Amino acid sequence: MFDIKLSESGEVVLSGRFDAAQVEKAKAVLDRLTVTTSVDFKDLIYVSSAGLGVLMATQKRLSEKGQKLKLKNVTGHIRDIFRIARFDLIFEIE
Amino acid sequence: MPSVQKQFKRHLDSLVKVFDFIGQFVTRENIDDDAAGVVCLAVEELFTNMIKYEGANSNDISLELRVDGEVIIVQLVDHDVEPFDMTKRPDPDLGASLKDRKPGGLGIFLTQKLVDDVRYQYLDRTSIITLKKNFRRKYV
Repeated sequence: MFDIKLSESGEVVLSGRFDAAQVEKAKAVLDRLTVTTSVDFKDLIYVSSAGLGVLMATQKRLSEKGQKLKLKNVTGHIRDIFRIARFDLIFEIE
Repeated sequence: MPSVQKQFKRHLDSLVKVFDFIGQFVTRENIDDDAAGVVCLAVEELFTNMIKYEGANSNDISLELRVDGEVIIVQLVDHDVEPFDMTKRPDPDLGASLKDRKPGGLGIFLTQKLVDDVRYQYLDRTSIITLKKNFRRKYV
């Protein structure tokens, strides 16, 4: 079960499994972002390249306006996937 | 050699059933969480590629999981398709700037980096992809 929420403080919170079937659900939230936003991965247990693609597309769109996504609590095998995909080059990972 | 095999409809909605199928097998075989996660990711990447490149094909996709010692062997079989040798795809340019980064090819790249062996065969218009991933038993 995947969930994505925009908290009252303006932070995006991900949880569950972010697979290819969840792309539209994620885009419905991420496409509304217009300013620099933190994305909390604390409760995310799985992400595939489909999820990485949505995050990358959002980062590209925001960067054109001088804004960005900042990723936090990226741990375990998700951090390994980010490292292999060289997402450290295109995201600020706290 | 413990093994299970199942056919899945060529649709993103099948992913839930695919993950359930893998989950039941890795639990039964006491496969560690890291290896189980890699198997889920690899199967998703290959399965969604088969949907993407053969979307008009009405044949189901076959997934087989086997354990040999402390190696999990995954085989995906796709009938009546054009060849698509994932092992010959160029790597994505991961050093490119954000503006020039492309999402394409990342799933295959991750799969090849995370599994221990990958083989592609194409016989009689059938693609057969075989992956191997070493694992540890969660408990004895």
